[in-house]
Amino acid sequence: MAEIGHGGIEIVERIMDPKEAKEKIKGLKQIPIRSQIANEVIGIAYGFFSPLQGFMGKADVDGVCKNMRLSNGVLWSIPIVFDMSNEEIAQYDIKPGAKVVLTYTDNPMALFEVEEVFEYNKEEMCQAVYGTKEAKHPGCARTYAYKDKFVGGKITLVNKPKINPPYEPYFIPPLQMRKIFKEKGWKRVVAHQTRNVPHTGHEWLMKGAWLQAYGELPIDKPYVGVLVNAIIGEKRKGDYIDEAIILTQDELRKSGYFGDHNHLTSLTFWDMRYAGPKEAVFHAILRTNLGLTHHMFGRDHAGVGTYYGPYDAHILLESVKKDLAITPVYSMNWLYCPHCGEVTSEGLCNHKKEWQKFSGTLIRSIVDDGVKPPRLIFRPEVFDLVMECAEKYGFGSPFVTDEYLQKRTPVFVIPPLG
Amino acid sequence: MAEEKYPINVWVNEERYEKLQKAGLAGMCEEVLAGLKVIKVYANEKQKDEILKKYPTAKFDSATTKSIELLPRKVKDQIFDLVVTKQSVDVLDEFLSKY
Repeated sequence: MAEIGHGGIEIVERIMDPKEAKEKIKGLKQIPIRSQIANEVIGIAYGFFSPLQGFMGKADVDGVCKNMRLSNGVLWSIPIVFDMSNEEIAQYDIKPGAKVVLTYTDNPMALFEVEEVFEYNKEEMCQAVYGTKEAKHPGCARTYAYKDKFVGGKITLVNKPKINPPYEPYFIPPLQMRKIFKEKGWKRVVAHQTRNVPHTGHEWLMKGAWLQAYGELPIDKPYVGVLVNAIIGEKRKGDYIDEAIILTQDELRKSGYFGDHNHLTSLTFWDMRYAGPKEAVFHAILRTNLGLTHHMFGRDHAGVGTYYGPYDAHILLESVKKDLAITPVYSMNWLYCPHCGEVTSEGLCNHKKEWQKFSGTLIRSIVDDGVKPPRLIFRPEVFDLVMECAEKYGFGSPFVTDEYLQKRTPVFVIPPLG
Repeated sequence: MAEEKYPINVWVNEERYEKLQKAGLAGMCEEVLAGLKVIKVYANEKQKDEILKKYPTAKFDSATTKSIELLPRKVKDQIFDLVVTKQSVDVLDEFLSKY
């Protein structure tokens, strides 16, 4: 049975048979790509970005920037582009009709069938996607760093990535994910987007969203699941290391705060753009393709600094609701109330003067000061695992350092073509 | 209108608590978040900006806690030592002129 993804279009994996691949790429020019592009090749080939079949051409980029739609009318909020310098275009003889091989970690990764080479005004792209042209916005900085021209065309994976430990069980592409949901008997699945080690505020966000999504369903069997979908991509110094993020999210299930019957952890390769509302729409698309029915959106979803209002993402999502096959679940903040003696929702508790708010940043500061937070705020199993990850993967720190950036084991590599 | 003040949370670990007890200052700690001991050192707007500029890893949590977080541990230790020496949380002017 066909699996239908975003835009009502069937999800089709663009992955070539390895035997056929060797022959098909013989003699083609090879272009090494950076990690952002490799992440996006995976996104396209496995259907995370369905209905995209490749890097966008000018009509798609223009449609996305001007109307938040692809040229075929399907809702899309962030350009997915392949950039090249004029020198590279000349060197590799890139022109419509050309076929080249994209390589990553020195091995062939994907066939790129060039359809178009074009220019696009980067300031216009920034203004349209990020609502600002300021170079200090990380999404704008990424856009301004793009080279001279963009190349549009279809992508087909010729060599599957080898996902390194400890990430391998968490790489679950859309078609496989949908199968797992069916096996679990989940009728509804709510997405938790994260780049964080979970504190109990996050845990209760998930639990609250699970209850919201459950609604009128019968309770004789577990019909609703939470999918933690961690974004794994470019790291900034001071972030939690990726290993700590993915393993601690799963630890909530392993330690019984959730269970197999209602919780699953996975990852998506993507370099965050911090596009706030536009990124929220992108996340909704991504998780639709993964087979989810609901998606949590909290305060300032995927925002940065003061570029977006706290609920701008909710407003934009409401405006495009009919184009999305996923239901947004809007989440209020959870906090600690000493009067209640528990973590509670700001929508429930009325001891407002006594509220003690906490955030991921605050928890990081506590951990930095060498203090183990109380279990009501940060689960002890999660804390212990963070510390274990610091030793095992973080060169002594649970946070990204220069040493981690230089020496970490890559999340995935492309193996030699067998 | 009262001037806005932004806390730097100096979380009190065992080592810091021992120092406070020795100096007879254990009562300076507030207890928050279900049992965490903290000393809050308040910065005004100007001091907040100066601290954030001086220590680029630090972050002002504008969305949730309105506090200055992620100062390096060494810097927190220096602030903490000043609090103990001066027996006061009003130490930021001295801290900023000294370090």
